[in-house]
Amino acid sequence: MKTGLKGSLLTCCLGAALGLALAASPAFAADKVVKIGNVEPLSGPSASVGVQGKQAREMAVEEINAAGGIKSLGGAKLELVYADSKSDPTVGVTETERLINTEKVNLMTGCWNSAVTYPATQVAERYGIPFVVPVAVRDTITERGFKNVFRVAAKDSWWVRDQFRFLKDMQDETGVKLKTIAFVFENGDWGTGFAEKWRELAKKDGYQVVLDEPYPSTATDLTPVVTKLKSANPDIVLLVSNAADAILLTNTMAEMQVKPKVVLASGGGHADPKFLENTGDTAYGLFDEVEWNTDVNKPGAKETNAKFKKKYGYDLTGESVDAYAAMYVIADALERAGSTDPAKVRDALAATKLTTGPAMIVSYDGVEFDKNGQNTNAGIVIVQVAKVDGKPERVTVWPKAARRAGYTPVFPANK
Amino acid sequence: MSRKQLDTSLLTLAALVAFGLPLVVTSPTYLQILILLFFYAYLTTAWNLVGGFAGVLPLGHSVFVGIGAYTSTILTLQYGVSPWIGMLLGGVLAAVVGVVIGLPTFRMRGAYFCLCTIAFAEGIRVMVENIDYLGPLHVNGPRGLLIPLKEASFWHYQFMSKLPYYYIILVMLLVVLALTWFISRSKIGYYLAAGGEEPEAAAALGVNVANCKLLAMALSCFFTALAGTFYAQLMLYFYPKGLMGLDLSFEIAFIALIGGRGTIAGPVIGALVLRPLNEFTRIYLSDMLPGLHLVIFGLILILVMLYKPQGLTAPLAAAYDRLARRITRDTTPKGEAA
Repeated sequence: MKTGLKGSLLTCCLGAALGLALAASPAFAADKVVKIGNVEPLSGPSASVGVQGKQAREMAVEEINAAGGIKSLGGAKLELVYADSKSDPTVGVTETERLINTEKVNLMTGCWNSAVTYPATQVAERYGIPFVVPVAVRDTITERGFKNVFRVAAKDSWWVRDQFRFLKDMQDETGVKLKTIAFVFENGDWGTGFAEKWRELAKKDGYQVVLDEPYPSTATDLTPVVTKLKSANPDIVLLVSNAADAILLTNTMAEMQVKPKVVLASGGGHADPKFLENTGDTAYGLFDEVEWNTDVNKPGAKETNAKFKKKYGYDLTGESVDAYAAMYVIADALERAGSTDPAKVRDALAATKLTTGPAMIVSYDGVEFDKNGQNTNAGIVIVQVAKVDGKPERVTVWPKAARRAGYTPVFPANK
Repeated sequence: MSRKQLDTSLLTLAALVAFGLPLVVTSPTYLQILILLFFYAYLTTAWNLVGGFAGVLPLGHSVFVGIGAYTSTILTLQYGVSPWIGMLLGGVLAAVVGVVIGLPTFRMRGAYFCLCTIAFAEGIRVMVENIDYLGPLHVNGPRGLLIPLKEASFWHYQFMSKLPYYYIILVMLLVVLALTWFISRSKIGYYLAAGGEEPEAAAALGVNVANCKLLAMALSCFFTALAGTFYAQLMLYFYPKGLMGLDLSFEIAFIALIGGRGTIAGPVIGALVLRPLNEFTRIYLSDMLPGLHLVIFGLILILVMLYKPQGLTAPLAAAYDRLARRITRDTTPKGEAA
């Protein structure tokens, strides 16, 4: 086996040659450009949302550059440097390291998948590079005391928080009093997580819980669940469902004449386009939760969506609006920092108070970060399924500032 | 100059080059590529102890990487134990699991053994993915574990620069290479080779084939688990699918097959060929076709198996042998082939 040893000599010589070749890495780009690294799932299972986010960013950057770039930096242009995470955390981490070390990006943004964003933001924190997260919902991303991580969108637990805010606001608005509440949810990670927070908030707001019913989302018959719902007869039903069970549940409730005063879903299956296709009239009155809706009553929202649709052929989604807004948050911070020094950009981001401009097509009223980097204003939109021009459509009803002009929510949906 | 002197001086030179490389390569990204290169060379060398010398083809070694990473990380996160201690404990645990898996499976031959190791590995991965808490231990299911940033220190196994990681994995690689060299020239090495090729004949000669294989398995699993801790501390994050999946197991086997199974230099040569290829296809070709690097791996494997079925080490070693003989003017042919 002596020859094996000899082979390793060659090995190491080759290694040296390789190292020399690699060391000659390119010098970095000329000034007047602010490089923003963007790790997104551009291939793999979440590629479609990754591409949506990429295109929304592109449009924002084009607009910012066309308007003269960052004026305090002598009209510096923004430049996006993309990397594909493939929705794989390990790849996301490696690519974040590469963007920071080799591409010498001034800022980072991404990564949509919570699983990727969670470790990737830690890499940026380690190198002291500001990381603006438009959307990735896992709570803990902005609960680690990091100094360089800023999240524009709402976190997971706020979805539940806003459901209860909506219920309270609507009762105040209409004078209707609702007392009993039922929880029906798929028994996976997502549903049980929501239910945990529901119980807490229902207790806090003084609702009486009359049913707490998990079900397997693969069920082909949900009659037993609906029967229980019928006998419990709650005022409010809160749901977490995937697509197939959302359809089944809605149709079974209609068949069995179960008509709670308010049915409030949590996005997911209820937000799937297939849901309205397969429920038809039975879905009217249902409330659902989303990040953003094309009809939000915010200045510029309609125009921006029209421009985006003309350019790329489809509507903006919640995720892409957050991505779009995040680029304006970055531009605003750079403008105030007047420098590309990461520490100064970080301080400028931390001091963000953005309430005007193109970024404000989001459903909430501003961007402002708490000490953990979470946008304290971020929120969710509640829509109601209503008949518009004879077709079921999702109409924004809450928050009231974003409500579709001229629409009065039907609350309660059933007497 | 005698042949021995030539060999020794070249080896010394190679070691010097490996230790001095970071003087030239200063970019953290390229240093990371080199670290991963050594990491895979190390993993494959550890795998080679059983996959090469014992003549079986285990395809579930990623599980031992996982055992290493989980043991040290859980101990650090929950009990504040230094990852260095966790690393050794993880190694011991992996060796025990390896022997437990080895006891029933080493009776099997060829493809049956392969399939069995895959089944074990996948079974353990699926279990880990579905366990949030194992007793008091927080495994965190499919979400994996994140090691929080701590001040950079040797005790915490965390460093701001890539340099310490580079030297740690380099030393680990040299240790496991030395062990392989030692074993290959020891009685156990010959027993293993005999048991791998002709188990019945070896047994008839009084070699306890099963025990030798189990010993090789325990050593291999121990060292593989050490790499798991190293990886966890390097990346500060891992999750079951990425760390314990079949991709990693297959990549180890790819590297070994292309480099040359059962040789000392094979894993290093295989890693030298495949790792840079993997990194550069990922960086430059990833938007072209996802998984392209696996296609390229496959193609290279087919070509190597067709033309150099023993791996790349054999022809390289032969070439070196010819060259060395010319230099030393040594006319006696060398009996050994890689």
